Amino acid sequence: MRSIIQILLVASLSLLSAFSSYAAEKISGAEVINNNCARCHNARAVHEFSIPEWKVIMPHMREKAHLTGKETQAVLEFLELTSQRAPLAKKVASEKMIAPDGKQLFVQFGCQGCHSLKGDGGTVGPALDETIKNKGIGFFIKKLQNPQFNNSSSPMPKMPLNEQQIKAIAQYIKS
Amino acid sequence: MNMLKLLPFAIATAVASGHLLANEQQNNSRFALAGYGDVKYEDSELMDTSAFSARFVPIFLFSLSDQMHIEAETEISVDENGETEIELEYADIHYFLSDTTTFTAGKFLLPFGQYGPNLHPSWINRSAFSPGIYGGLGGHGGYQPMQGLLPVMSDIGVGIQHIIPLGKNQKIFFDVYMTNGLATEAPHDDEEDAHDEEPVQDEHEEVVVDEHAEEEDEHEEVDDHALELPELAFEATSADNNSDKAFGGRIAYAFLPGIEVGASYYTAKYDDDEKLGFTATGFDINWMGNHYIVRGEYIKTETDAFEEDEHEENKVITFDRNGWYLQATFMAGKMFNVLQGTDFVVEYAETNKINEAERWAYGINYWLDSRAVIKATYEDTTVHDGEDDKRFAIQYSYGF
Ligand code: HEC
Ligand code: HEC
Repeated sequence: MRSIIQILLVASLSLLSAFSSYAAEKISGAEVINNNCARCHNARAVHEFSIPEWKVIMPHMREKAHLTGKETQAVLEFLELTSQRAPLAKKVASEKMIAPDGKQLFVQFGCQGCHSLKGDGGTVGPALDETIKNKGIGFFIKKLQNPQFNNSSSPMPKMPLNEQQIKAIAQYIKS
Repeated sequence: MNMLKLLPFAIATAVASGHLLANEQQNNSRFALAGYGDVKYEDSELMDTSAFSARFVPIFLFSLSDQMHIEAETEISVDENGETEIELEYADIHYFLSDTTTFTAGKFLLPFGQYGPNLHPSWINRSAFSPGIYGGLGGHGGYQPMQGLLPVMSDIGVGIQHIIPLGKNQKIFFDVYMTNGLATEAPHDDEEDAHDEEPVQDEHEEVVVDEHAEEEDEHEEVDDHALELPELAFEATSADNNSDKAFGGRIAYAFLPGIEVGASYYTAKYDDDEKLGFTATGFDINWMGNHYIVRGEYIKTETDAFEEDEHEENKVITFDRNGWYLQATFMAGKMFNVLQGTDFVVEYAETNKINEAERWAYGINYWLDSRAVIKATYEDTTVHDGEDDKRFAIQYSYGF
């Protein structure tokens, strides 16, 4: 038993040095959720708990899911971002009134953490390349305004996005 | 009993103060109440009974600081005699030593395999029953025809967790722990007293299993090994009958988001003189695809016992047992829109060498949302040296 542990330790430490760049990277909270939060149970909806509650729940899940402290922090930041209210969305919008930047929003809200686009990205959600073509822009807008509207167990968070911003994201996905 | 009466107040106070705190410090609460509950209707052919049962399992979470986190889970249920049972499933403190290392002390869920630490809450488990190799833990009420291999979920002691991230999608998990471990089951005339002190589910089970064995004894000659397998008390206690601690750990490899495989080990001396040991080795897999989940575990146990030789001297012999289960869930709802929220589940389990049994289980689940589910499970157990059992359950479970 002991020698197995030693071999594994040495092997994993050498692997670790090869991968250590991960630690320096900025971690995407959406990606951490995609990678860790559907393995044991259905991913829970963000709106079920308040942010102060999430701050106490996440250390519980850090231990269960074997997350690093940085990953835990990234999840919390993402949850905080998505649970902000509409006023902020308006503020963001007014700053960039002329045309919201779809690509920037797509990155900021971690869509690709859970969805793939052009073959790259997360897998808890379906690939987004064909969604608008197949289901229409109306569906896309409705889905982003209320992700649970057609699927009550959807883990997709409701984002603080206004219609204009959603259309900008759609534009970016189609491009 | 007084404790029981106080409990609702304690919960209410805790909730109220949690809310107050949450309101006071908008961004940094220190308390959260979570947990799960379920209602179950179970119909068993062997026991010739059908009954409703209910459980309420609140989880109390506290963040003392960025480093310190406290968690406690109690299970409140009503037993066969109408008595309210309260069980402390876990109560421990985590100390986050670094980004990747966590120290844990208290009563905690043992990181052995995946069912106990990760999958047993009823809103997570895809079956209304627990896997056969875990006996009645966290699933079956009352008598359970399959004898579990490692019927322990939590114990008191200390543990360390360490994570090695290998890039974004791969990780290695290490968990090691030291706990009080096991003892020999109390002699049978103490049964009554033991019940009063410690209303623990397993006890009922083991008692019944034993009656069963005695019954067989009258009818036919059975393999005496089966009778001699020592009964071990797995319930966590605040005292230890010997100074030898249980020691164990798990190494797992995760290929995220879909796969986690692990190997676990547990060993302890259980008698007062520290001569007899119990060892369990396990392998587990949790594999999650787009439309399916495959979960399984294999456990092998070695239990020492004394046997008198010709010279009436005790020599140690070892009983081997093993068993495994594999559960496949097909999330039909993710494939066909009309079946949204529906799962189909098939599970096979067997225990070998001593108390041999096999079980097939079939289930349909319907998810109302991501944490509320109605499960219907049918289970067919074949017991080699005993009566077979068929049972059916409908369970409504919710996480909160
Ligand atoms: C290794 C299995 C596992 C993984 C991975 C996991 N969870 Fe959990 N989760 C559990 C278990 C088990 C519970 C039930 C709580 C208990 O029994 O202690 C739970 C409960 C919860 C709850 C309910 C509140 C509570 O604390 O009981 C939330 C919310 C939650 N998990 C969110 C998450 C998030 C977010 C992630 C991703 C970072 C995640 N979980 C990953 C096992 C897991
Ligand atoms: C935390 C993970 C997560 C994040 C972040 C996320 N989604 Fe989703 N999304 C999902 C999941 C899971 C589904 C599939 C379940 C469902 O139907 O809701 C989904 C479904 C969708 C659908 C419906 C697809 C279909 O074919 O039915 C669209 C459109 C969508 N997401 C767009 C987005 C966009 C745009 C963003 C970024 C603003 C985003 N999602 C961010 C998890 C996520």
